[in-house]
Amino acid sequence: MSPVVRLLVKRLSISVIVLIGVSMLIFTIARVIPGDPARIALGPNATSEQVEQLRDKLHLNEPIYVQYGYFVRDFARGDLGISLYTNRPVMTDIAQFLPATLELVIVAGIFMIGLGIPLGIASARYRGRAADNIIRVISLLGVSAPSFVWAVILMLLFAFFLPLFPIAGQISDTLAVPPRVTGFLLVDSLIAGNFAAFFSALHHIILPAFALALSGIGQAARLTRSNMVETYDKPYIEMARSYGFPARRIANRYAFRPSLIPSLTIIGLDFAAMLGNAFLVEAVYGWPGLSRYGVQVILRKDLNAIVGTVLVISATFLIVNIIVDLLIAYINPRIRLAERSGS
Amino acid sequence: MNYLAKTAAAALLGVSTLALAPSAPALAETVLRLDEVAVGELDPAKASDYADSILMFNVYDTLVLPAQGAPGLVPHLAESWSADGNNHTFKLRKDVKFQSGNPLTADDVVFSLERMQALGAGLSYLFTNVEKAEAVDDNTVTFVLKEPYAPFVASMLRLPIVDKTLVMENLGDGDGEMKDWGQAFLSANGAGTGAYKVTSHNPQQETVMARNADYFLGVADVAPDTVRLRYGLEPATVRTLIAQGEHDISSQWLPPEVLKALAQGGAQLLTESGTGGFYVKMNTTKAPFDDPQCRLALASAFDYDAAIKMIAVTDDVSQGSAATGAIPVGMLGSNPPTDTLVRDMDAAKRHWDSCRYAPGDHTIEISWIAEVPIEERFALLMQANFAELGVKSEIKKLPWALFAEQVSKPENTPHISQLFVNAVTGDPDTLLYGMYDSKAAGTWQSPEYLNDAEVDALLEEGRVNSDPEARAKAYHELNDRLMAIAPSIYGYDRQSVFAASNRVKVPALSDPSKAFGLDGMGFSFRLMEMQDKD
Repeated sequence: MSPVVRLLVKRLSISVIVLIGVSMLIFTIARVIPGDPARIALGPNATSEQVEQLRDKLHLNEPIYVQYGYFVRDFARGDLGISLYTNRPVMTDIAQFLPATLELVIVAGIFMIGLGIPLGIASARYRGRAADNIIRVISLLGVSAPSFVWAVILMLLFAFFLPLFPIAGQISDTLAVPPRVTGFLLVDSLIAGNFAAFFSALHHIILPAFALALSGIGQAARLTRSNMVETYDKPYIEMARSYGFPARRIANRYAFRPSLIPSLTIIGLDFAAMLGNAFLVEAVYGWPGLSRYGVQVILRKDLNAIVGTVLVISATFLIVNIIVDLLIAYINPRIRLAERSGS
Repeated sequence: MNYLAKTAAAALLGVSTLALAPSAPALAETVLRLDEVAVGELDPAKASDYADSILMFNVYDTLVLPAQGAPGLVPHLAESWSADGNNHTFKLRKDVKFQSGNPLTADDVVFSLERMQALGAGLSYLFTNVEKAEAVDDNTVTFVLKEPYAPFVASMLRLPIVDKTLVMENLGDGDGEMKDWGQAFLSANGAGTGAYKVTSHNPQQETVMARNADYFLGVADVAPDTVRLRYGLEPATVRTLIAQGEHDISSQWLPPEVLKALAQGGAQLLTESGTGGFYVKMNTTKAPFDDPQCRLALASAFDYDAAIKMIAVTDDVSQGSAATGAIPVGMLGSNPPTDTLVRDMDAAKRHWDSCRYAPGDHTIEISWIAEVPIEERFALLMQANFAELGVKSEIKKLPWALFAEQVSKPENTPHISQLFVNAVTGDPDTLLYGMYDSKAAGTWQSPEYLNDAEVDALLEEGRVNSDPEARAKAYHELNDRLMAIAPSIYGYDRQSVFAASNRVKVPALSDPSKAFGLDGMGFSFRLMEMQDKD
C-alpha cells in the first residue's frame, strides 16, 4: 500500500470515529437544551393533547439511548427524519441547501487563496516598503473584523452607495433558474449553456464570498508573509541572490514553496470553518444555504435537522482536512517518508 | 510593483465587466417582492403565523371573509349560511374551480375540516368543538358542533378549502387509508382555489406565486402578475433593497428606527390594526400578584405614554395606539377610543396601600422574550416605573422556547411576562378565552393563571349566546371586570407597520374603509395595485 493511500485510510478511519462521536454528542446536546420541540413545532396555539401526540410520534418520551437507537436505525436507511422547521425530509433540505453554501465557501476559498497568498508573497517581497505596509494594514483589517461586519460594510459600499453588485439572492429575479443538476448554480447554468444565468450568479456571489473570505485573505496573507520572511533569511536564498537570480523567481520558486506548508494547514482549517461561519453572511445576503438553515433549526429546536446539519458540516470539515493532509503530504516529502518509515 | 499593478488592474477589469454587463431585460409582467421573517408554511392545515396567513389567504379561499372597513363577515366560497342550534349549514357557490381545474364541492369542505382535525397542527384547535361535517349535496355542507359556539362562523376564516381530489392523488407515505394526508405534497405545492398559484417554494429563500387567471372573482389587471415572498432577510438587507427599488413591502418586524429611516427616504408606511394588543401579564398565583390591589398598583404606575413613544415610527405612525382596556379598540366589547389608559401614580400608591404586601417584600421578576428586543426596553421602563412605588425588580431574558416551557407550571412562571396576542379570527373569543379562562391556564397566552368565576362566566356567555347584542354586552362587562382585577397591564393596542416602495398601492393596508381587521388578510395580492403596470 502506498504511503498516501495508507495516510488516506488512516484519516478516513479516524473520521468515522469522530463522526460517531459527534452524532452522539449533538444528539444529546440537542435534547437537553431548553424547550419542547413538539410545542415549538406545533405552534403556541396547539393543545396539550396535540403536543403529546407529536412527542410520542417523535419518541421524545423514550429514554435518550432508545431515541439514539431509532436515529441509528433510520440513518442506516438514509433517513434523517422530517424537519419540523420546513416540514420536509431533512435529507431533502440538506440536498437543497448544502450546494449553495459549498458554492459560496468554494468561491470564498478561491478568493482566500487567489488573493491572500499573492498578497502575502508581495508583502514579503517588498518587505518594509509602502506596498508591504499597505498590505499588512489591509490584512489586519480583514482579520480583526468578523465577516458579518464586512458583509454589511461591503453591501453598503458596493450595493447601496455604489450600486455595482446586487444586494441579495443567488440570481436575478428576472432570469429563469437553470435546471438543477449539481445544485451549484454556477455549474448548472454552464451545463444548461445559460450564460446570462451564469454571469448573474457570478455577479451575485462575489460580494458575499468576498465578505466571507476577507478574514481568511488577511490570515493567509499574514501567514504567507511571515513564513516567507523567515525563508528569505535562509542561506540558500542568499545564495540564489548572489547568483543573480531574478527577484520574482526567488520569491515564487525558492521562498514561496517551503512557506506554503504551514499556510496550507491554516487555509484548510479556515476553509472548513467558513462552512460554520457562513450563516451571518448568508443571512445578510439572503443566501439560501445550509449554514443559515442550521441556525434556524437550532433556534426552533428542530432535533432531526440539528443532528443532520451538524453531521454534514462535520463530515465536510473532516473531508477538507483530509484533502489538506494529502496536499501537504504531496508537497512535503518528509511526511510521505515519515509514513513510509512508520510502516 | 509591476506585479501588484497587474493584479489590481485585472481585478478592476473583472469587477467592471460584471457591473457594467447589460442588465436583464425589463419584464412585461409586474413583480411584487415582499418578505417575512419566518418561513411560510404552505400546508394550510398547519398555518399559524403571519407568513403562513399571507400564503393561505392568497393560495386558498375560505367560506367567508371579513367585511372590509366594518365588523362582520361576508360570503366568499359560501353564498349563504344559516344556523340551527348546533348545526351550521353553508351553501357553496357553484362557479368555483380549484387551480387544478377540479370543481369545488361540499366534499372538499368536509375533507379540509377532517384533514385539519387529523393533523392537529396550526389553528386546528379552533375546530375541536366540531363533531363532524357532512356534505348534504354537492353544494351544501353542514357542520355539527358538540356544544354551542356563537363565533363559529368567524372560525371559518381559518378553514382554507383544499382540493380533495388533487390531494388524494398525491398522498405520501404513512399509515392507514389517508397515509400522510398529503402533507408532503402540500408542504411544497398549492391545492386551493385562490387568486395566486404557487410556482416554486424554497423554505430558505422564497415562495414564488403567479396570478390565477381562472380565479372565480377575477383578478384586476393592476394586481401583480408574480409575487415573491422572501424569507429571513436581515433588516439591513431589507432597508438597502427597498432604498434601491429592489423590494416592495417589508415585514412588520423591522425595528422602528429602520422603518423611520425608510419613511424618511420616501417609502410609504402601511398599517394593519385592530386585531390584538401588547399585554404585560402578571402571575396571579405568586405573591404579591395574588392580591389584585398590588396588580392594580402596577397597572396604574405603568407609563403608557412612554410606551407609545418607544414604538413611534414617525409623528403620525406608530406600532401601536393607546389602549383603552383588555379589548383592542374596534373589536366587540372594546371601550371608546377616547378612554385611553394613563399613568396615575396617586392611584398606584392608593392601591398599594390597600395591598397586603409591602412594596419591598418581594423582588419582582420581569421577563422579556429574547427574540423580541423591544421587550427589553419595556422591561427597563417597568423597572423604572415600579421603582417609584418602592417595588424592587430584576430583569430576566428568556428565549421563547424556554418561556413556553416555563409557563406550563405556575411556580416556574415569572412574575411578569410580556406578550403580543392577536385574535386569530377577529372575534374577541379567540383573543380572550385563551388568555383569561381558568381552563386555559398554563399556556404561553395565559401566564396569569387567572381563576376568576365572573370572568369565566362572561367568557362562556360570549361563546354560547348567539345574539350579537347580548355578546357585545357580555364582552363589555368582561372588559370592565378585567380592568377591575387587572391580571394584565394592557400596554397598547398593537398596530403592524410595514414599509413599502411607491411601486405598489395597498388599499387594505392604507385606507381604513378597505381594512379587513384580520391579520394577514390585508396582503391579498389580488387587491393590490402595481403602479408600473402598463
